Amino acid sequence: MAKLLMKKIEIVALLSDRKKIMERLQRREIVEFSDCKDEALVKLNTSATVSQFEKHIVVALQAKDILNEYAPAEKSFLSSLNGRREMDKNDFGKFVEARDIYLKDCYDIINCKKIISDNKASIIRTQTLKDALAIWTDLDIPMQYKGTKNTKCFIGVIPGKKTSEDIILAIAARNPNLEMLYVDVVSAFKEQTCIVVMCHNEIADETNEVIRHMGFILPSDPTKQEPKEKMQIYDNDIIKYNDEISQNVEKIKSYANKNEELEFFADYLEMRKDKYIALNKIGHTKNTFIINGYIPEKYADKCVNELEERFNVAISLMDPDENDDVPVLLKNNGFSAPVESITEMYALPGKNDIDPSSVMSFFYYMFFGIMLSDAGYGLIMVLGTAFVLKKFNIEGPMKKTLKMFLYSGISTVFWGAMFGSWFGDIVPIICEQFLHVKAPDMALWFEPIKDPIKFLLAAFGFGIIHLFVGLGVNFTMIWKSGKKLDAILSVAPVYIFVLGAAPLCAAVLVGIPTIVTQIGGYMALGGAALIVLTSGRTTKNIFARFGLGLYGLYGVASGYLSDVLSYSRLLALGLATGSIAGVVNLMGSMPSNLIFKGILLTIVFIIGHPLNMAINLLGAYVHTNRLQFVEFFSKFYEGGGRNFNPLKLNTKFIKFKEND
Amino acid sequence: MDKYGIVLAVLGAILAALLAGIGSAKGVGMVGEAAAGVVAEDPSKFSKVLILQLLPGTQGLYGLLTAVLLLSQIGLLKGELISLSLTQGLQYFIACLPIAVVGYFSACYQARTAVAGVGIVAKKPEQSGKAISMAAMVETYAILALLVSILAINGLK
Repeated sequence: MAKLLMKKIEIVALLSDRKKIMERLQRREIVEFSDCKDEALVKLNTSATVSQFEKHIVVALQAKDILNEYAPAEKSFLSSLNGRREMDKNDFGKFVEARDIYLKDCYDIINCKKIISDNKASIIRTQTLKDALAIWTDLDIPMQYKGTKNTKCFIGVIPGKKTSEDIILAIAARNPNLEMLYVDVVSAFKEQTCIVVMCHNEIADETNEVIRHMGFILPSDPTKQEPKEKMQIYDNDIIKYNDEISQNVEKIKSYANKNEELEFFADYLEMRKDKYIALNKIGHTKNTFIINGYIPEKYADKCVNELEERFNVAISLMDPDENDDVPVLLKNNGFSAPVESITEMYALPGKNDIDPSSVMSFFYYMFFGIMLSDAGYGLIMVLGTAFVLKKFNIEGPMKKTLKMFLYSGISTVFWGAMFGSWFGDIVPIICEQFLHVKAPDMALWFEPIKDPIKFLLAAFGFGIIHLFVGLGVNFTMIWKSGKKLDAILSVAPVYIFVLGAAPLCAAVLVGIPTIVTQIGGYMALGGAALIVLTSGRTTKNIFARFGLGLYGLYGVASGYLSDVLSYSRLLALGLATGSIAGVVNLMGSMPSNLIFKGILLTIVFIIGHPLNMAINLLGAYVHTNRLQFVEFFSKFYEGGGRNFNPLKLNTKFIKFKEND
Repeated sequence: MDKYGIVLAVLGAILAALLAGIGSAKGVGMVGEAAAGVVAEDPSKFSKVLILQLLPGTQGLYGLLTAVLLLSQIGLLKGELISLSLTQGLQYFIACLPIAVVGYFSACYQARTAVAGVGIVAKKPEQSGKAISMAAMVETYAILALLVSILAINGLK
């Protein structure tokens, strides 16, 4: 358990088997490819192919998104939790043959989408033109009309609201011969007036001058047709654009049943891409190829047998040496595996580390439970996660996270029951205020709010155990590396010192029998002396040794004091959940009328408790992590490992049924 | 003079909820602004930045917790006020100060660390655990202050 032992693997095989071997390894997902460093071997440059695949992946996903937009598959929100669907290998073959068709389909869909957006833009443009023309609809001649042989016609706008009399008067002031003039106002608004002025050629220049003086300008887009006719043309255009849109929408919808194929296509391309990236790393001779990589020892024999049975291969397995950059793969039992993601969040175990997940898991669930500390909330967590895990086919990290919350939920129920908190104090409230009976004592252990000091001391106690376990792991690690004396000297004095100091500190808060504090005092003194004597054991100089010893004592004393105090967050978060839940219940039970009280309590309960639960869930998660990362890991763990990244089926939508 | 005792005690409770609450509101708001920028670029990082955003929110809870504890101890929640001398009231008032003051500042500084953490999530989302740890460090002092306040209030019973 824990960190899987890695082997270096070298596979030499015939080029003719390359495709089959690569695909088999990809399906097994157990070999990480290393870059071939041997300069005598030829390496393929597959980057062009890889980028081609990447381009097609984008096309496929884009087409899938468009399809979802126009023909959404009927899915409930929760069903999106479902993992990949299974696919038979034979079906896969059939799909692969049709891949060119899928690519064409994808481009078709994207093209339809492009036509739709183009038409939508055209509609907006036409509508704008139509709106601009609306003020001219009463004009019954084309807007570009310039007049007859003997007349001139001016069609345009002048600023401000004007009547035809205003214009006639203005022209008459220059030329009183009004028989030669015709003025019509097509439409008038506060900002502008649309006018038609017709006049005889004789007075055309003067008229032009007058109206220009009034601010006459030609319309921005004069029509060849009568405005009404032009409006009709615009309307027809819009209908045409709309038709084209709906045609293309229909066309996209006709691909609706191809959703699965497109998903397959995207996955297929992803797999090919990964394969070609791996291909980039292998070395070739004229007729053979060589794969170098890492494989977990656990799977090595099976993999070797499988390949040797089917192909002409020469496989050698070697232990990695000191300088190799060995990847890390964690493997734990069902109880500890869920917290692997927490370990990964901090850092994967480095070369000399052990996997801390299994030691951490018990404390993780325990601290989570103490911090959330409400059995009602725990019950909701357990039921919720169990339902989702049971009902849906969830895989990967999501499954681990849900399991982690399931176990943490169970622990929360346990601690909630110990502290007597079920949705805060809802049971006593119902008993006393509605049923008028005396509430039973809910707490199996004690109620934290009634005795916070006891809770605090318990929290420190749990903390010391947690820290000691971390130190114990450190001890075994040093012991196993052969430095047995070092192991004892670096751990035992700390144990003695902290164990002795603990009752002395506790005596500040509660009464401790004198005999215990006396023994504690001697132990603390002895431990301190041991620390001073042993901390500087690496140096020969007696004075430097003493100085280092004092410094070591200071480090241990201040370090452990702050570490242990840090566990008071168990109290802070544990109390917070219960008392805020109590406030929620209190708000609900304020009215004295029983019916009002019942209604209000129900409403406040339904709104308040989920909120309280959410915020405390977050707090419990963050602070449990912190206790592990800062207090626990600092005792033995370094991290800095690299994740095992095998050639695998990195698919989003499908997975294969394993039948051979 | 004796009625001022209860006034001081209630004032302490209000101050705890008030200052720590203001600090948390300010902090959650600050991180939220930074987080919104990241989500605008990449909506899939929402859950990661949400955790960071909520971190400075706990100080407000601690303030509330202290206030509720005190109010229930002086019987205000059940409507059966106990009588407090001026000295006792002042003691309750002072007991509230650690979480009120440290809560406020710890929320603000935690928010600044969390804002920096949002930057980590934006560039290296896989390192978000470290961003959370760094911000959680700041909270330690709010927890210690809460501890002192609770112990003091409890000790005055």
